[in-house]
Amino acid sequence: MMPIQLTLAARYLWGRKLRTFLTTLAIVFGVLVIFSMNILLPTMMQAFATSLQSAAGQVDLTITHKSGETFSTRVLDQIENVDGIRAASGTLERPINIPANFFRNANIGAVTLIGLEPKAAQALRDYSVKEGRFLRDTDTNAAALTAGLADTLGLKLGDEIPIPTAQGVVRFKIVGIRPAQALPGNEPVYVNLPQAQKIFGLPNRINTVEANYTTTDAAQRAQIERTIQNLLGPDYQFGGLGTSSELFASMQTAQTIFNVLGFLALFMGGFIIFNTFRTIVAERRRDIGMLRAVGASRGAIMSLFLAEGLAQGVVGVALGIALGYLAGAGITALASGAMEQFLHVKIGAPIVEPILLIMTIGLGLGVTLASGLLPAWNASRVTPLEALRPSQADVEKGKTWSKKTIAGVTLLVMAVGGLLSQNISLVALGGFAFLCGLILVAPALVKPVAGLFGALLTLLFARQGTGDLAQGNLARQPSRAAITASATMIGLAIIVAAVGLITSITGGINAVLAKSLGSDYLLVPPAVGVWSNDVGASSTLADRLRGVYGVGVVSTLRFASTTINTEAVNLLGVDPTAFPQVSGLNFIQGNPQTAFAQLAEGRTIILNGIAASQLKANLGDTVKISSPEGEQSYRVVGVGSDFINTKIMTAYTSQQNLKRDFLKTEDILIQINLAPGADAAQVEPRLKDIAAKYPQFKFISGKAYIQENQRLFNASFSVFYIVLFAFALPSLIAMLNTLAIGVIERTREIGMLRAIGATRKQVRRTIMTEALLLAALGTAFGLLGGLYLGYVMVLGMNASGMYPLTYSFPLAGILIALALGLIFGVIAALFPARQAANMNIIRALRYE
Amino acid sequence: MSLVQTQDLTKVYGAGDMAVTALDRVNIRVAAGEFVAVMGPSGCGKSTLLHLIGGLDRPTTGKVWIENVSLGELNDDKLTALRRRKIGFVFQFFNLIPVLDATENAALPLMLDGTNSAQARARAREWLTRVGLEKRLTNRPDQLSGGQQQRVAIARALAAEPALVLADEPTGNLDTRAADEIAGLLRQVSDEWGRAVVMVTHDPRIAAYADRIVFIKDGKAVDETKLKQDGSDNAALVTGRMHALAE
Repeated sequence: MMPIQLTLAARYLWGRKLRTFLTTLAIVFGVLVIFSMNILLPTMMQAFATSLQSAAGQVDLTITHKSGETFSTRVLDQIENVDGIRAASGTLERPINIPANFFRNANIGAVTLIGLEPKAAQALRDYSVKEGRFLRDTDTNAAALTAGLADTLGLKLGDEIPIPTAQGVVRFKIVGIRPAQALPGNEPVYVNLPQAQKIFGLPNRINTVEANYTTTDAAQRAQIERTIQNLLGPDYQFGGLGTSSELFASMQTAQTIFNVLGFLALFMGGFIIFNTFRTIVAERRRDIGMLRAVGASRGAIMSLFLAEGLAQGVVGVALGIALGYLAGAGITALASGAMEQFLHVKIGAPIVEPILLIMTIGLGLGVTLASGLLPAWNASRVTPLEALRPSQADVEKGKTWSKKTIAGVTLLVMAVGGLLSQNISLVALGGFAFLCGLILVAPALVKPVAGLFGALLTLLFARQGTGDLAQGNLARQPSRAAITASATMIGLAIIVAAVGLITSITGGINAVLAKSLGSDYLLVPPAVGVWSNDVGASSTLADRLRGVYGVGVVSTLRFASTTINTEAVNLLGVDPTAFPQVSGLNFIQGNPQTAFAQLAEGRTIILNGIAASQLKANLGDTVKISSPEGEQSYRVVGVGSDFINTKIMTAYTSQQNLKRDFLKTEDILIQINLAPGADAAQVEPRLKDIAAKYPQFKFISGKAYIQENQRLFNASFSVFYIVLFAFALPSLIAMLNTLAIGVIERTREIGMLRAIGATRKQVRRTIMTEALLLAALGTAFGLLGGLYLGYVMVLGMNASGMYPLTYSFPLAGILIALALGLIFGVIAALFPARQAANMNIIRALRYE
Repeated sequence: MSLVQTQDLTKVYGAGDMAVTALDRVNIRVAAGEFVAVMGPSGCGKSTLLHLIGGLDRPTTGKVWIENVSLGELNDDKLTALRRRKIGFVFQFFNLIPVLDATENAALPLMLDGTNSAQARARAREWLTRVGLEKRLTNRPDQLSGGQQQRVAIARALAAEPALVLADEPTGNLDTRAADEIAGLLRQVSDEWGRAVVMVTHDPRIAAYADRIVFIKDGKAVDETKLKQDGSDNAALVTGRMHALAE
């Protein structure tokens, strides 16, 4: 037989369907957010990993240079001679971004051009073909591609496939079509190694060595790996490409942020659940007293409440996980288009890691039980005498200035102290202290804040005593009102803070944008910032542009990937004279005059903000840069950032250095300024004519490019706003819950009010006013908390060196929060107000 | 014409086999300023009668008139307005709003009627003074005794100057002394302030304060007894009638 506690729990839950529904909804939402956010990011991470895996294939060993750059074919010879190596092959492979409309039949973002030695490569992997044959060592201008790519481009055996290269467009005859590739990633185009080396201008160089072992014994394999490692030295790495770690790191940061947000959502859910249980206990004092009178132990009472909590927790968590999966899958589906277009990564179905499932279930049930525990304990303290008291809606008693309030005020003072210190750690700690402080002082502020807004609302619309009633209703349970307001506060604080951050970033970006891309014209590659995927042009192009009458200065950017002090860094080669004339950096350390002058002399670099902070390097320091020619010492002559590379660790050096140490001479971005007095209408068509022969570049005016970037930013931020709105939703549930519970709890009072002549409209208005007051309270706290948090974030961004930001006051965020607060208040009141107004008077008067 | 008049007032709860007749063709009249007690055993329908007279519930059949207005012809808003202006309610458990003080509680019907706050409070204070609570004007319900809370409820019932006060077991939750005080106060409401009072009670001692007693049994008005408020032992008389009716 079911224990009586469970029977009672089931009956209570069933008997109060609305409340059960609202409490469960709170749990569902908390779990939904944490679950969906956490399946989303691993799914994307997995997509990256799969891409790399498919690049590495099935071979035992993949060796690349730590810088991600090419190395001599001698390395391959050394590896082939190591004992235990069955076969080894060197490849030169680079993704090539395909400009829009390059292929007539389809738009594809990029392909990976793989230069290999067909015979050696086939000893390592199976290069089977569906049609035709695979490459032969003797082939020239021949290519093999996958069925997928051939279908997409409408090409067949014997056709030619054009590929944009530094020398212009090169055409390859298709000799073989391989089966469609199973793994996601760029479609490969296979060519002979010498041809790839010629296209990329890298004779005798490769960027990957693959090898298979003669043995399957783990110890022996490890020994072979060690031998090779000793042979090659520390500049080489085994496994995936190092340059991708940047993206992994930023995704991990994103995951942390989402986890924090998910946790906050669950926290809000916890608040709602806690509030509900507390009210249930208050309301059922007579029942509990009676149970105690007839012999129920304290433990039995506690277990009754915990059983209710557990039942709702189980249902809420199950529903939350199901809906969270749907939400995660939905967002993944929506995001996959953008990911494919911009990052060339395909996304599969959402991934649910078992640990996430366990964690979500644990957190969901944990929060529910923890929220129910204190009220359950309180319930167990109810004496049998309570059963004899007439039931009446309780008024919370207690000193206004309790210990909690004093602790809260102390935290707030500490937070302000942290803010004034301008020390990032103290300010960040202050942000947390500020939120906690607000939550603690909230109960003491309920009455004065309700009084202030109540007077306003009474003037506006809540006349005939309804305003006073609403105010009184709210103030009778200050801590309940405060908990609800705290949930609203967290939701709205996130919005205000995020909008503050966005406003500051937008302001910062616009300034940097104008400075670094402020030239009259640009020739930009398809993927700005992800330079390793871009195919540039030889210096001939820049020279031809310089030759055009009316052109003042032409500055070019060259690229090499490297590691500085073991961190992956993008190294950009600039012309120290031309670069400052058409573009520029925002200097944090050093100044443009001396920095660019020193860049022209010897091995010197300018680090961007994020690189300087990650490497802990300052002006005048010397850093170790790994290059294909070995490790080199470079002196830091400045710290400054531009727009494009702002989020990526980047260093600027002279093009001479890039040529000497990295053998790179390819221009990947070209900026042009007109000569003073030149007629743009005459010069532009001539520049366009020259650029047309290099389809890997897009010719655009500086002004148009800046506008395009700003549009992109606005578009990505608008998606962000939608996510933020989702985070504000739990506060709506919290308000709805508190109001609905308040109505249930005051049933008799409402009955009395109706009996003595309050119209339905007046009752409705009372509840509406109460909701607005509650919303005002939460919004006021949310604004305060959000302003502080936003400031913390901007300071944090500054410290990370990403953007030189100045804090902008988030007026838009405040307006959004105010509007949301107001709208949520009204929506939250609709249902409870209706319920209260339509109450049957006699039943309400008899309600216990 | 009477202040209150009912005609064949009937209330049936439920339907079919489950139908319970709580009130069965009751006809009563209450004159202006008259104090009427309604008595009867638990579940006899006396509270139902009070609810129907007060317009809190609608009869299944039959009619109620208050000052010649038939309640059945009023929509919800008009009925609410009539309750606010013509009827005062006193409940067994006082039903005061815990977050409002005595004055605010008593001023509630006036405020709901749109009287400005200062005037409403002034009138509430006046009534609280009349019921003997001049020193408790700013006390909240939890700072008042049961008897004092019921006085606030009576002041609230009278604040809007209604012609009729309906009291449902007003002494049911009070000790003997407080109960006598409240019953005396209701007597005063009728005698001094000229309001009609209809009070439901099962206590013969309290009913003895009334001018007339209507006995209800199984939903029917079975008897009426007029009392003289001249010092005679009405309580004994009422108890006697009750016993006689119970047999």
